[in-house]
Amino acid sequence: MPKIEVGASDLKRLSGLDSLSPSDLEERLTLLKAEIDDWRKDTIKIELNDTNRPDLWSVEGVARALRCGERGRTDHLRDMPAPSRKVTVNAAMKGIRPYVACFRATGYSLDDPALEALIQSQEKLAESYGGKRGRAAIGFHRAEEISFPVSYGPAPPSTVFHPLGEEGEMELAEVLSRTEKGRQYAHLLEGMDLYPVLTDSSDEVFSFPPVINSNATGRVRPGDDDLFCDVTGTDWETVQLAATILACNLEDRGAEIEPLRTAYPYETPAGRSPVAPLLFADSLEAEKARMESVLGTTLSDSEISGALSRMDYVLAEVVDGSVRGVLPPYRCDGLHPVDMIEDVAIGRGYHSFQPVRLSGYTIGRVSPRQLLADELRTVLVGMGCEEILRPVLVSETKLRELTDTTGRAVRLANPMTAEYSVVRSSLLPGLLETESVSGHAAYPHRMFELGEVVRVDDDGLTASEEVLAFLACGNDVDLGVAHSILGGLCRARMVNLELEESEDRRFVPGRSALVRIDGEAAGMIGEVHPAVLDRWGIDRPGSAFEIGLATL
Amino acid sequence: MEELRDLHPLERELLRFLREVGESSDTEIVSRSGLPDEGSFRRAAEWLLSRGLVRESRREESATVELGPVGRSYLEKGTIPELALMEEVREGRTDFREIQGLDMFDNARWGSALGSLLRAGLVRKTDRGLELSSEGENVFRLCWKVVYEPLSRGEEVSLSGLPEGVADLVRSRSPKRTKSKAEFVIRTHVTRYLQITEKGGKALERSEEGGETVGAITPEMLRAGTWKGASFRAYKMDIPPSRIHSGRLHPYMRYLDAVRRKFVAMGFSEMRGPLVESEFWNNDALFMPQFHPARQIHDAYYVEEGLSSPRPEPEIVSRVAETHENGGDTGSRGWSYRFDRNRTLRAVMRSQGTALSARCLASGPEVPGKYFALARCFRYDQVDATHLPDFFQIEGIVLGEGINLRHLLGLLKMFAEEIAGAEEYRFQPGYFPFTEPSVELHVKHPALGWIEGGGAGLFRPEVCLPLGVEVPVIAWGLGLDRLAMLAMGLSDIRDLVTPDLSVLRRMKIRADKLVGGGGGDA
Repeated sequence: MPKIEVGASDLKRLSGLDSLSPSDLEERLTLLKAEIDDWRKDTIKIELNDTNRPDLWSVEGVARALRCGERGRTDHLRDMPAPSRKVTVNAAMKGIRPYVACFRATGYSLDDPALEALIQSQEKLAESYGGKRGRAAIGFHRAEEISFPVSYGPAPPSTVFHPLGEEGEMELAEVLSRTEKGRQYAHLLEGMDLYPVLTDSSDEVFSFPPVINSNATGRVRPGDDDLFCDVTGTDWETVQLAATILACNLEDRGAEIEPLRTAYPYETPAGRSPVAPLLFADSLEAEKARMESVLGTTLSDSEISGALSRMDYVLAEVVDGSVRGVLPPYRCDGLHPVDMIEDVAIGRGYHSFQPVRLSGYTIGRVSPRQLLADELRTVLVGMGCEEILRPVLVSETKLRELTDTTGRAVRLANPMTAEYSVVRSSLLPGLLETESVSGHAAYPHRMFELGEVVRVDDDGLTASEEVLAFLACGNDVDLGVAHSILGGLCRARMVNLELEESEDRRFVPGRSALVRIDGEAAGMIGEVHPAVLDRWGIDRPGSAFEIGLATL
Repeated sequence: MEELRDLHPLERELLRFLREVGESSDTEIVSRSGLPDEGSFRRAAEWLLSRGLVRESRREESATVELGPVGRSYLEKGTIPELALMEEVREGRTDFREIQGLDMFDNARWGSALGSLLRAGLVRKTDRGLELSSEGENVFRLCWKVVYEPLSRGEEVSLSGLPEGVADLVRSRSPKRTKSKAEFVIRTHVTRYLQITEKGGKALERSEEGGETVGAITPEMLRAGTWKGASFRAYKMDIPPSRIHSGRLHPYMRYLDAVRRKFVAMGFSEMRGPLVESEFWNNDALFMPQFHPARQIHDAYYVEEGLSSPRPEPEIVSRVAETHENGGDTGSRGWSYRFDRNRTLRAVMRSQGTALSARCLASGPEVPGKYFALARCFRYDQVDATHLPDFFQIEGIVLGEGINLRHLLGLLKMFAEEIAGAEEYRFQPGYFPFTEPSVELHVKHPALGWIEGGGAGLFRPEVCLPLGVEVPVIAWGLGLDRLAMLAMGLSDIRDLVTPDLSVLRRMKIRADKLVGGGGGDA
């Protein structure tokens, strides 16, 4: 979940909500599926739960949603002039980093909070939404340092360039190996002979996306009032949406947005000559009757359009029993009419919907496996046994080296620690571990765990299996203890128990057996081998069994 | 305060003995007083001590010598390495390497025996090999005589009774650690001496004047009727009860049992499913795009290459794939990307209980129907006081014609009241990739304030339709560990799965108070 930091006074100014208290803000943030993570002095940390709404990941976006919730929709990017400048794309970019979107923002002098917000939204959009700068990366420049028109093209790694914040010029290849940002993003350009660059009319490289801007243009400071923004990337929609969101944010601050035309020598989803920022105008259509049936309430046309206006929909009209809504230009997350139906519910506020009780009659049932498990647990407790619960993930050491468990077990591909790197294939290690740290607890120790293990067959197919394991430890414990408990269980289940001598490294030779229940192999029983006890640091004898529940 | 309670026969026996001998040790009392066994003595002594009728006059510490595992093996062989080595030398075997070749003891033992003999000056090394320097009595032979021999006859050997040299030898060969390699083990015993007190004397006199009283009622008495007219000795009522070691269910499992009962009572049927899931049921069937952040390697545990979970039916996979790519027949535009069918087979540790709901939808559920699961799920997290590698989630679905957002809110209200026991709760818009509308339940906990009470929503058509379900479906899920910790009064989540029996036994559980909601009791 993205988290952002916003200045409280900045948020109040932008949202027009001057007296915003924590509880008031908390309440209003529900409109955008967000919550206050922390509020200290002027800094509010906000957590945004909707991973499909990157437009909200900035103070301007949050403020806009609060403003619309209070006063209804506003226009965005409506009075932009016709594009007079352009970006020319080289044909080779199709295979390198195919898409670019640029615009200019003028007439607004950046103040400190605005600059901070700009850096943060650039970071959130490129890292979280842009897939760590792969699908989209963003650069801001001082437009006065750039002479138009601009070209987006390939450059050999030996091209010389002065990266932002470095002492002097270096080759692009050196940028990747010697600078911090270079090393961080070099993998995005791995295996390429030519790198993407933006050059101005004098052929000067002023940006090396997705890595770094030039020192001359990229040093944006408070007081700058003429910005050039470039978004480049591999995914059309991500690139365009990021540019549109940034343009809306700057417009909300008071800037005028000047769009740029991009000339592609190849096709894009919007042709060869698209203009950025692109005004997304996704529309969704739902039958009003369907909307009412999902929401469980009747709604007037004006209630619907009012609710969608609070969600900043450009248009919401009900025609012939059908609701058509046009999403604001910075959103393209409408996949299905239900998304609009939810927006109506949120726009109206969930508190306006009265809960009703379900009326259909259904029969409740405990799963048969659980019924059996409960039966066994009751019998075991009656025989004085204590139930244990251990994690499903264990270490290779506990399962193999300490306990001598054989048979294949599922290993994790990406364990966080060795301690939890294998899925248990037996419950015995958990019981032995319990005994190993419980020497100080009063005896007798008769414990069991009933739970799932995962087994693997020869074809690598995994299957979860319900298993019961029992362990007794104490000064005078021998095979008889485990045997009598198992016998008690089988009597309670009215099944026939037979032991068939069988060796198992976990148990003392000659004192272990295959457990047969009604003739079927169910598991093993035995006196725990002193070597196993010794490795676990247990200094009292023990006996144990482990059986599958299928036969009981 | 005057001692009103009658004396127990055991107490009377013990007091009489002490009156006779004046002072006596525990062991002497057990062997000479006529009390039936040591247990009876201990009980009687504790009672009398606690009432001040006898007192402890002094304590003596003594140490006895026993054989450790190594010593016992020497006893079986009938000699110790030092004596055996001297014997070999005496018989003319002067080459130490030749002696080391004898399999009576291993190399190391022969080596250390030679070391001790050289140090003790009993053997010397010369050009001709080993020679005895002294033929007389020595500490090793003495040790065999005064330690090994008496022990082999079952006699007790006291450390203080040994000649000084032997005692030193015994001490140096009875390590405190690594007892498995010890030749000797020294056990220290404390002998306690008891005396009768003045109060005890009076109590005994009083008791003797009163004649015999009946203590335990025996079957013989009942059969013979001798209890008639007897006076029953009064028992002390304010003593703590003796402890019974009982079997017990695990506290967390009892919590889960209570939650399960609630759901069954509300008409829900239980779902079960595998711990190792395919990505298909865990994510794809839930309309989570394959590029979704929650599907990254740092958010779920993946299973090593080559392992799989059973393959889902190809027709269902096709419908789901199409829905991801372009919405299929669901009225959605889909996620607009190329769906990778190979990825659906990758095995993952179930990361959300919703996987079970997806399986249930695809298996032809009843309509109307209510299903729930107590599912163990896994998430890639550092283990600490608030995170476990696996955790329990309560998860479920409700299917029915005409189900809507308000039913969803009604269901959450029921959870808030019945499961969390909350009087105050609120609903907020939430975001889950598989539901729309989505709702988060927040409940007010008396101690912690507002906490999350679970996520819910109506499954998106992109989830239901490809799995063959056309009626609306409510889905909801909630991690139970935190609620369980609250109910059990724990502050460290790791205690839920503690391996320490004493911690487990200390957990205070009132199972009837674990989950909220009232019953029908008048």
